[in-house]
Amino acid sequence: MNEVLLEVDTIHTFIGQFHILEGVSLKVRAGSITALLGRNGAGKTTTLRSIMGLNPPRSGSIRLGGEAINGRPAYEIAYLGVGYVPEHRAIFRDLTVEENLRLAERKRGDLARRSDFIMSLFPDLKRFYRHPGGKLSGGQQQMLAIARALVPDNRLLLIDEPSEGLAPIIVEQIVAALRQMATETTILLVEQNFALAAQLADEYYILDDGRSVQHGRMADLTRDHATIDKYLGAG
Amino acid sequence: MIELIQRRRGLIAGIIAIILFGMWASTQYEPRVLASILLSGLTLGALYFLVTSGLSLIFGLMDVLNFAHGTLFMIGAYIGFTLYANPRLLLNTLPFGLALVAGWILARWLPANSLPSGHRRPLWVAAVLVGLFAIWNFELAPLATTALSSGGRVPTEQAQAPTPIFIARALGLAVAGVIAGAAFLAGREHTRRPERRDLIVPIILLALALLIAPLRLTLEEWLLSLDSNTRFLLALLIGAGGGAALGGLMEWSLIRPLYSRPIYQVLVTLGLVFVGTELVKGVWGPGGYFMELPAWFSQRGPNCPSPNLIAWLQDNCASIDVLGRPFPSYRIFIIALGILMFVGIAVLLRYTRLGMIIRAGVQDGEMVQALGINVRRVFTLVFALGAGLAALGGVAAAPFLGISPGLGQEFQLQAFIAVVIGGMGSFTGAAIGSLLVGLARAFGDQIVLTGIQLPWMSEAMTFSPSIARASTVLIMALVLLLRPAGLFGKKE
Repeated sequence: MNEVLLEVDTIHTFIGQFHILEGVSLKVRAGSITALLGRNGAGKTTTLRSIMGLNPPRSGSIRLGGEAINGRPAYEIAYLGVGYVPEHRAIFRDLTVEENLRLAERKRGDLARRSDFIMSLFPDLKRFYRHPGGKLSGGQQQMLAIARALVPDNRLLLIDEPSEGLAPIIVEQIVAALRQMATETTILLVEQNFALAAQLADEYYILDDGRSVQHGRMADLTRDHATIDKYLGAG
Repeated sequence: MIELIQRRRGLIAGIIAIILFGMWASTQYEPRVLASILLSGLTLGALYFLVTSGLSLIFGLMDVLNFAHGTLFMIGAYIGFTLYANPRLLLNTLPFGLALVAGWILARWLPANSLPSGHRRPLWVAAVLVGLFAIWNFELAPLATTALSSGGRVPTEQAQAPTPIFIARALGLAVAGVIAGAAFLAGREHTRRPERRDLIVPIILLALALLIAPLRLTLEEWLLSLDSNTRFLLALLIGAGGGAALGGLMEWSLIRPLYSRPIYQVLVTLGLVFVGTELVKGVWGPGGYFMELPAWFSQRGPNCPSPNLIAWLQDNCASIDVLGRPFPSYRIFIIALGILMFVGIAVLLRYTRLGMIIRAGVQDGEMVQALGINVRRVFTLVFALGAGLAALGGVAAAPFLGISPGLGQEFQLQAFIAVVIGGMGSFTGAAIGSLLVGLARAFGDQIVLTGIQLPWMSEAMTFSPSIARASTVLIMALVLLLRPAGLFGKKE
């Protein structure tokens, strides 16, 4: 087994007055894809945002490669090598594809160095390189959002619902890209589509009502229909 | 085609309205009158633009409605004027500020972990006491009032403290700065360890402060011996720089802690209007000043007004002939300044990394942060930039409108109207909105002056002077009816 890259230990996160995460713990091993599963509102997105520093947890600890990162501002966490692909893509609509990618550079030359790899994963982006992000289709915007996280050397990618609302053929392309990416980095993936998550992930964590309730190897979960029914609805 | 017309109906209606208005105006006024109304409108528009551009950038990026933007405009005018007419006031106060900031930065070299957060309050109190002790009995009034009576041209030595005392005060303030910085850092984790090269900035600041102190008189004489054009350019530069520094300080100290509480932010900026106005009255007095035009724009003689711009470059007449009517050359300069700043900011937004961050941040600041960009620092920078633009506008307006503590209010109001017309947060919108408001004011003034001659009436219809001011509100109402988000605003 590989070493643990990310360790989240009983974090509690509030949004305004609402206690959203009530003790989430998880470990992500370097070089793996870990899926974060659970119903709508279970706290999956908030977990990613807590790790990223966008909704800092009020208690508990988050360690990246052994170093505590909870309480640090988001931009510092990003600098430690965490890439974030949010739900609903959040690309910059008024910026061109090129500018979107350039903005993600952490040092000069990042984009030039990684451009070939990114364009081989998502050839569409090359075609629309100088078009504003807002003019892209939903699938292309998702590709751009993922590509943005690939520009710098990230140790960990937090990817939220990459398949949401996309046509099956686009989803296939994105799955292939995620597989390719997993060979060189570590991914923590939130995915509603269980079949897709099962296909990609090595390990899983299930969140229910703000708590992490179960985890294990993905291969075991696919046979465990009781758990799937209990926590993931009609999965 | 029909779909295009439907989609762009606001734009088309606007163009038609402008064409109709232009046709009406060209029958109403002779070309030379029309030309000078248009130029007056452009002048006002350029000044409004300097205020609205910053206002709009700040609102777009950080959702802060800065009510104090007009106050920064006014303070810019005072700083610029002071450099132009009475640099003594600046030379005798600037070293204190520099020393204080230098001390604040130097506090980072104190061993941070030796300062638990419990020490914070006593440290603040100590800093304030040391600071007060350092400037105890410092007389500001004589430094400022000499300007009122003599235009600041007589270097009276008795207005200035002896150099050793002055340096002692500056050092005292540096110590106060160190203590305040320590209070600020006490109990804070995650502060970056300073490196040796970080020492450069505070050392330069301190050196400047200590250097200015003995050279105050010489510097003052030197500044006043410069020709009025150079002093004017320096005034623009220092006014804008001073405004930018104040704006940055304001964001960092008062706005930043309140990003999660927008209502308080509005109240703070509103309060700053009063504080700023009273401070200015306290230092410079409640009365107004008039800043002379620099030599470039004030020559009179047999060949004036200059027949055209090229000739003006040689004879520097106070006015330029426009279709047979003299028009003040300084107003042409204001128009040029407005255009220059428009192009400058457009280039900044379009082609620089900072501009890219601003454009992205306007849409989604959180995501910019998640990409590893310290958005807070960009906020401070943009706030300073916007404040600097407003202050630049203030200095530019000073020779043309005069300087008084109330200068900012009128601009604040009109600038808000212009921003709303153009669409909150849109830079192009700010430019177009300012232009519309400026032109409306100019036409409004003309209508008040001469009335409107309607074909079926024997006498011209006259209006009360308030119509000029009301006209801009009228335009705003019309625009909002057609496009609730403003001309270039995006619907959320």
